Amino acid sequence: MTIDAAYLLQLTLNGIALGLLYALIAVGLSLIFGVMEIINFAHGELLMLGAFAMTFALPVVGLLYWPALAASLFATMLAGFVIFEILLVRLKPDEFERSILITLGLSIILIHTVQYLFTATPRMVDTQYGFDGVAIGTIRLTWTRLIGAGAAIVAFTGLYLTLRFTQFGRAMRAIAQNREAALMVGIRPRTVARNAVILAAGLCGLAGSALAPIQLVTPYMGQFLIFKAFALVIIGGLGNIPGAVVAAVALGLVESWIGGFFTAAWQEGAVFVIMIVVLMLRPDGLFKRGGMRVG
Amino acid sequence: MTTALELDVVTAGYGDNPIVREFSARLEAGTITTLLGGNGAGKSTLLRAIYGTNRLFSGRILFKGEAIERLPPWERLRRGVGFVPQGRCNFPAMSVGENLKMGCYTLPSSKHEAAIGRMTDLFPLLREKWRTEAGNMSGGEQQILEMAMVLLLEPSLLLLDEPSLGLSPRMQGDVFATVQRIAATGVTVLIVEQNVRGALLISDRALVMEQGRRFMEGPADEVRTDPRIRQAYLGGNIKETAA
Ligand SMILES: Nc1ncnc2c1ncn2[C@@H]1O[C@H](COP(=O)(O)OP(=O)(O)OP(=O)(O)O)[C@@H](O)[C@H]1O
Ligand SMILES: [Mg+2]
Repeated sequence: MTIDAAYLLQLTLNGIALGLLYALIAVGLSLIFGVMEIINFAHGELLMLGAFAMTFALPVVGLLYWPALAASLFATMLAGFVIFEILLVRLKPDEFERSILITLGLSIILIHTVQYLFTATPRMVDTQYGFDGVAIGTIRLTWTRLIGAGAAIVAFTGLYLTLRFTQFGRAMRAIAQNREAALMVGIRPRTVARNAVILAAGLCGLAGSALAPIQLVTPYMGQFLIFKAFALVIIGGLGNIPGAVVAAVALGLVESWIGGFFTAAWQEGAVFVIMIVVLMLRPDGLFKRGGMRVG
Repeated sequence: MTTALELDVVTAGYGDNPIVREFSARLEAGTITTLLGGNGAGKSTLLRAIYGTNRLFSGRILFKGEAIERLPPWERLRRGVGFVPQGRCNFPAMSVGENLKMGCYTLPSSKHEAAIGRMTDLFPLLREKWRTEAGNMSGGEQQILEMAMVLLLEPSLLLLDEPSLGLSPRMQGDVFATVQRIAATGVTVLIVEQNVRGALLISDRALVMEQGRRFMEGPADEVRTDPRIRQAYLGGNIKETAA
């Protein structure tokens, strides 16, 4: 078998684009874990809500991409705020089991509520860009994919700068590193946790909105993603945000390559094979754990 | 003299377990008070109750005459209560500089530079280690950093839980001298110390706690020479360090 270089490059670019979307989800999960010490199993549903918001917003704004994206981001951040104020705020840092059951329950309720309201029929949505894109030789990338990847990169840069250089973001790292010290300097854990959840929900909303014009939108689209994202967070070193991004992009590449040469069945299992191998060889993941490191 | 802090039959602890029971005390403004007691007596629990990071079962806490027992810690901090907890209490994966900036969390950003400048003048070590991750410093250096993170806010009541733990005898002396200098500016200090002799020497008064209850209270030199205290905390005690 000869491998066509252009085909390989195409798969690589697709893989990076996919990986960046995974990274948006994994980073949000990592952020919430750092600040609240819980895994939000309803995280994939925030992405699903973002995708649905995009499919409803696009026709309203005449298929214009950016206004629809803004509306969808707002909707998911609002959903994050409501979920925090109703449920997550009641969880204490040492209540890990309770947090798993509550967020898992919430995830299932959200899936079925959306299915009840909007049916399970997969939705397709078009944007102003349609299937237009850029082509270099035989390599083609649609605008929707490029914009999705670009928006993710902008989001990571913004998040990095926020966590590194603003008191707003530093407070999140502070709580992740030492709760008692956070209280010592006058941080309000509840406010910071709320900010983290809203921010993470926004990242999910971005991923969902970016996916909506690329793949079919269904109430179940986020269900499996949470497990992938969870695996990525572990592979990247629990609490290590750049670690999660690197792991996510790597996974996007691996999946894209596997999908290009083998059947799709292998593609979905890859992350878990990698996770198990990584955990066998390096129990704490590939990168240094904890403390919500940003660099 | 005015009263800075008044504890009025305070019962405090964790979950459903009261540890400190019916504890009353009064601290005059600008004085240093040592809180003595054996391991597990409840000293840290009492300091946490004053700052509001554990459970208060009953009693009142008056700070400058105002009841603060229902306020969350950040409100107490805003009113001038500063608390440096026992053990490691910094952000280990942040640099010393970032830790000091976090110390400024409740200050308007226009005041950060001046506040941090005062601390690096007071503890030049912090300027030298500005870029070092806090978690990579020695225990003593971290202890200094933690004290600086709270002193940044110029609290009028300073609660110190074992500030000299892990420090060399010489650095212990530095800490005590610093505490004395801070108190001389009118700050009220309540200090829990493993170096009992060193703490009593700089203190005006001493409180002794046994199993969560107040056992004795008086001027520091009287408590220091009390036979029962000498026996329990000073004479031949392995934790004692010459100051
Ligand atoms: N976070 C906590 N949760 C539950 N119980 C606690 C907690 N912290 C301390 N205790 C209990 O409270 C009691 C008093 O502890 P405390 O830390 O106040 O003692 P201490 O006088 O400061 O002792 P030491 O000299 O060892 O620091 C101990 O029995 C301890 O087990
Ligand atoms: Mg203690």
